[in-house]
Amino acid sequence: MDINTDILVVGAGPAGSLAAREAARRGVDVLLIELKSEIGSPKRCAEGVSKSGLLELGIQPDPRWIARKSNGVRLVSPDQTSVWLSEDTIELPESGYVLERKVFDKHMAMDAARAGAKIMVRTQATSLERVDNGVIVTAIHMDEEIKIHAKIVIAADGPSSRVGRWAGLDSNTKTENMESCIQYEMAGVNMVNNNVIQLYFGSCAPGGYAWIFPKGEDIANVGLGVLKTHADRPAYEYLNEFIENCPETKDAQAVEVNVGGDPVGGLVKERCGDNILVVGDAAGFVNPLTGGGINTALESGVYAGIVAAQAIDDGDYSKKNLEEYVKLTDEHIGESYDKYKKAKEYLLSLSDDELNKIAHEFVKVDIDEISPKTLIKVLIKVSPKALLKLGKLF
Amino acid sequence: MIIKDYCLYCGACAGVCQVDAIEVKEVKIVIDEEKCVNCGICVKICPVNALEM
Repeated sequence: MDINTDILVVGAGPAGSLAAREAARRGVDVLLIELKSEIGSPKRCAEGVSKSGLLELGIQPDPRWIARKSNGVRLVSPDQTSVWLSEDTIELPESGYVLERKVFDKHMAMDAARAGAKIMVRTQATSLERVDNGVIVTAIHMDEEIKIHAKIVIAADGPSSRVGRWAGLDSNTKTENMESCIQYEMAGVNMVNNNVIQLYFGSCAPGGYAWIFPKGEDIANVGLGVLKTHADRPAYEYLNEFIENCPETKDAQAVEVNVGGDPVGGLVKERCGDNILVVGDAAGFVNPLTGGGINTALESGVYAGIVAAQAIDDGDYSKKNLEEYVKLTDEHIGESYDKYKKAKEYLLSLSDDELNKIAHEFVKVDIDEISPKTLIKVLIKVSPKALLKLGKLF
Repeated sequence: MIIKDYCLYCGACAGVCQVDAIEVKEVKIVIDEEKCVNCGICVKICPVNALEM
């Protein structure tokens, strides 16, 4: 079977569906293909998302995909000292809602369909070749091989992205930048506060952190990410140990297990080429500090959809004409990543003892007075190297 | 390369493969042994230790 389309989007995660939605809204032909038989499942994600970030992209909150609202964060040091931060006093990235990704992702794809995009599930892209004025992507749909001729391809194929590489872009993730993640969705979690997201730092998750994100009264995503440059065992061993030792999870039962790679090295060098744009996890749109990437994936998808549709109108699919996408994403997303990357480097340089000392100092600060500035002040007081690594950033 | 039955097909291995030798299907991982250079990066990144050299 041969298919002709203006724009082919590979991957129906948040980035791909938003790219498809935005492009289709502008009246161009869009085909969105998804490898899996069910969009959004299995999830590869802790499901935390910023409330305001969704509204900015015109996504109206829907109770069908909001598992729980969160109003703050609890940071836990290795000696179990808790630092509580409230959403009212400090802006917290990727905080506000804990999603039901299986429902959310489907709804985003449905919006793309309503805007006019065609969708094919259980369709795997297997190769890409360049032809005059476009690309031909070969894909397997069920058991049938199809050739999709597109003027522009938007690669939204996640952390294991290959489409960008097929098109000749330097877009793959280095091992030292890939968090190896595992998570259980659990019931019977005895949370001290089930309205905040919780992050546990230190040697429980070398190179990353462990998290407990509430999805219900006693339901939570419990997971962690480790960097292979810092950890000496597989992620699941660290998680099982964490669950056994954490008072909140030791009596909980897993009803689902999720795994995945999380690219935390910042934006990939090449996000755009002739006839191609790379979005979402595939392009490294993940906050290097938190590992969260839903909001930025959605945002990158929107920019890609707009720029690609405009290029179709222009009849010019060259890299030069698509570079507006790189400009937009650098300006709105990439610049903040440099700051988060520095913060992450600092965080990873801290020993369990240093983390404990910092937590003890934070506990003394009045919660209502905490702002990024006071946080840094307290940090510098107890950890002089913070000044060196963070002082100029905030 | 041996892929254990309990692999969850997350594709973390494919993401870090420097020679693009790993293909992730919905419920299957395929390694192109001709492209594979036995660097072992995929073994290290696997969250559940499902790969073995």
